[in-house]
Amino acid sequence: MNVLTIQGLSKTFGGQKILDNLDMAVPEGSVFGFIGQNGAGKTTTMKMVLGLLRPDQGEISVCNEPVHFGQTKTNPYIGYLPDVPEFYDYMAPARYLALCGEIVGLSKAETQRRSEELLFLVGLSNTKKTIGGFSRGMKQRLGIAQALFTRPKLLICDEPTSALDPVGRKEILDILRKISGTTTVLFSTHILSDVERICDHAALLNQGKIVVGGTLSEIKALHGHESLLLEFSTDDALHTFKSQVAIQPLLDTAEEKGNEIVLHSPEMEKVQHTVFRVLAEAALCPVKIEVLEPSLESLFLEVIR
Amino acid sequence: MNGYAAFLKKELAENLKNYRFLILFAVFLIFGLTSPFLARLMPEILAAVDADMQMGSAPAALDAWEQFYKNISGVGFSALIILFGSCMSGEYSRGTLALLVTKGLSRRAVIFAKYTVAAILMTACYWAGFLAAYCYTAYLWPDTTLSHVFTAAFYLWLIGFLYLSILLLGCVIFKQTFTSILFTGGIVAIISLLGIVEPLTKFNPLLLTSKNAELISGAASVAEFFMPAVIAIAITMISLWLATILFDGKQL
Repeated sequence: MNVLTIQGLSKTFGGQKILDNLDMAVPEGSVFGFIGQNGAGKTTTMKMVLGLLRPDQGEISVCNEPVHFGQTKTNPYIGYLPDVPEFYDYMAPARYLALCGEIVGLSKAETQRRSEELLFLVGLSNTKKTIGGFSRGMKQRLGIAQALFTRPKLLICDEPTSALDPVGRKEILDILRKISGTTTVLFSTHILSDVERICDHAALLNQGKIVVGGTLSEIKALHGHESLLLEFSTDDALHTFKSQVAIQPLLDTAEEKGNEIVLHSPEMEKVQHTVFRVLAEAALCPVKIEVLEPSLESLFLEVIR
Repeated sequence: MNGYAAFLKKELAENLKNYRFLILFAVFLIFGLTSPFLARLMPEILAAVDADMQMGSAPAALDAWEQFYKNISGVGFSALIILFGSCMSGEYSRGTLALLVTKGLSRRAVIFAKYTVAAILMTACYWAGFLAAYCYTAYLWPDTTLSHVFTAAFYLWLIGFLYLSILLLGCVIFKQTFTSILFTGGIVAIISLLGIVEPLTKFNPLLLTSKNAELISGAASVAEFFMPAVIAIAITMISLWLATILFDGKQL
């Protein structure tokens, strides 16, 4: 089942088409990476899912219920963490969560229970400061706590790690990974290593459309190519290897650096058979052989080119 | 109106914490006390400035009330508008409302809670100022009895609600504090200009800010205030209604 389905979504800002007939589906239980350059329309899409922006065209449904602009019935299913979450500075974190509890209509006891549980999860239990004295990372963590307060089916995070230092980033990713068992997570980012670290699904937004989507392994298998790295102990060995007839067709796309050579091909198995045969025939012993997996980065660059 | 009570509580706490209430209370109290005080001292002040200047008659309790209405309707209410002019802009620019609205806080609850709290604080400050003026005037002129003192104050109080509703409408239409305040000033100016046109003069709600002292002196009658008061209440309701409608469509 899909927690979120988007069909034919379009949005224009000041004559510029930000989203152009966008289709996307987020399966239940997934950690979904929503990838795109700055200004690609990730935040716009997320705000429309939350009913904060009016779409020009298209339909959005969350848990099989349609999303309407303004007051939407689907928001209780969603927890939202904006890129730079802002709260009321004079409040302590527990007071802010109490306000959330009052708005949602929870009992005082339940509010307190959830508040303690969530502040512990995000590591803010022992904070006596008011929010005004919080660092960006602390605000981001409180943002996750408030987003999870309603026990949402879908957690939407808008670039939760972009503005943070490495420690803050790791903390946020760890929290997201921790909750991924109970909540579907949709998070937008342009940091591809974050996606590789915690996501199982991803979609790549470019020029208003999803250009690549699916599980991470599907994406890597469908697009891009694998590479084989060989390192020889001497220049001569590399030279001998390159002079073999069977290797010639692979040299066009190959990259060379020192005693290393990287062969690229969409059919890695075939290449490996050839290479091992050639190495045996020419009696060559490389010091290192490694199959390089396609990185999201190379894929991303390939797609947006 | 999901979350009205919760947001009302938040607004009350916020206005106490950010000193808005304290400043407004001080402004109204100071005017309440200084109006009779300055009215009483006016002959001495004039004499000190220029020995030849003299008041036509000895200062009376009525002069105190004249001062009070002039100060409150001018500076007092201006302070009210300036202080509450930022009641929405901060929430827009920081995006604090978006988080709560996505939690199910109704947009109507936001508007009504903001208005309720502003109206409660305005009421508290206004009547505190009035009480101060009343007591001090009674102390300085113990033998004077005036009629319609409370009625005159009641009508000016209504204008506070009117100004706040126009301000809130401005805050919903515009994102910046300054433009919201300017909008309020503009609407009030339009109302006062319309009030000059002959057939409308009797209905001008701003009469409630200018004829209060005349009501106390007997130069104006209570009946004259009735229609302007009805119009003031009507404009207040319409402004609030428009604010909720427009806020429903506002992108946060």
